[in-house]
Amino acid sequence: MALVSIPAPLRRYSDGIGRFESTGTTVAEILVEIARRFPGLFARIADEGRLRRFVNVYLNDRDIRALDDLASKVGAGDVLDILPAFARG
Amino acid sequence: MSTTNSAAPDDRLERYSRQFRFPPIGEAGQRKLAASRIAVCGCGALGTVLANHLVRAGIGFTRIIDRDFIELHNLQRQILFDETDVVANLPKAEAAARKLRAINGDVVIEPVVTDLDSTNILRLVSDVDLILDGTDNFETRYLINDAAVKLGKPWIFGGVIGSEGQTMTIRPGVGPCLRCVIEESPPPGMTPTCETAGVLGPAVAVIASFEAVEAIKLLTGAHDALNTQLFMVDVWDWSFRRLEIAGLQGKVDCPCCLHRRFDWLEGLLGSHTTSLCGRNSVQVATRRSEPLDFDALAERLSPLGEIRRNAFLLKFTADGHEFTVFPDGRAIIKGTSDIAKARTLHAQYIGN
Repeated sequence: MALVSIPAPLRRYSDGIGRFESTGTTVAEILVEIARRFPGLFARIADEGRLRRFVNVYLNDRDIRALDDLASKVGAGDVLDILPAFARG
Repeated sequence: MSTTNSAAPDDRLERYSRQFRFPPIGEAGQRKLAASRIAVCGCGALGTVLANHLVRAGIGFTRIIDRDFIELHNLQRQILFDETDVVANLPKAEAAARKLRAINGDVVIEPVVTDLDSTNILRLVSDVDLILDGTDNFETRYLINDAAVKLGKPWIFGGVIGSEGQTMTIRPGVGPCLRCVIEESPPPGMTPTCETAGVLGPAVAVIASFEAVEAIKLLTGAHDALNTQLFMVDVWDWSFRRLEIAGLQGKVDCPCCLHRRFDWLEGLLGSHTTSLCGRNSVQVATRRSEPLDFDALAERLSPLGEIRRNAFLLKFTADGHEFTVFPDGRAIIKGTSDIAKARTLHAQYIGN
């Protein structure tokens, strides 16, 4: 089981949940699970089946685009972070 | 490189003695700082902390670029300003320069009161060694990124919202650029801004201080000690993250650093802002690929009061200005004919 972490500003779309365990074995499978469990969150981070371009996903602190992107393998003990860009002052 | 201070006698270095006794800097490093030139883009929360650190550290030339005036609600975190500046209605760049000149009379401070855009950025950054991000919006950050990559100059990205901030040191040709890491800015209304989510002064100070240390390393040649990651900190829950991004360079199909297409610099992307003649209004237009999410924007703005909307526009009032926002991200801001002010208001309430 991998741990999926949702940042505070997006938790209003995940019923307040900041972390959950997923049985997905790839990043893509975890996104499918997010779409099923938290459709509002999925709509914020993905569009037409792909991640929005201002959302980055990190697997054990490594950007998945430098790994195998959505096909990156995920297993027990792995941590997946979904991090949208914020404007910030 | 400036030569003004490069041959400074030792007594002029004495004021920096506690800094150059730190072995990685040394007297040689201090002389390099004195010969260095930087541009601080944006002189708000991040920019005042950056300029404060780096002018005190003895950087020979600091250009401070900002489009805004000081307001009372800035004083909570913008450390170079005080109540007399608010009463005097001073531009931030000018007020900062006055304060900094009193702090260090041995270095050159150049305030520039302007809206940094595609027409002036090359002129304002081509004669500096390093560009520092003290801005509050992605539009200007992508513009800085374009200019930095085009000119092959390093720049340091930093941003803070609420209690959380992040920073990244960008060295064109050595590591990924901003567009490699963040391919596109969030659509207006999609994410919070400092005006809607707040921002803590200490969080800003932490991020700007990390940026300042990176600047000192870059300018003294301590490149091995530079940060190659996306650093994130949340000062409220005491969390620190270092995200690995070095592998993105060359792996992502970056239009900027890989294909050398400078969309923001060439004005193809970004704001197209015009004062609406005789209406005391400014239209701020942002070209975007995704339409504005009115539901998210209305929800985010709800603390400000009444939001009126239909399918074609959304209206609200903030800071004494009436905003009319359109689905393509365009907004008409009533109550000003000042383009820079309108762009600031647009960034504050609608986002990028």
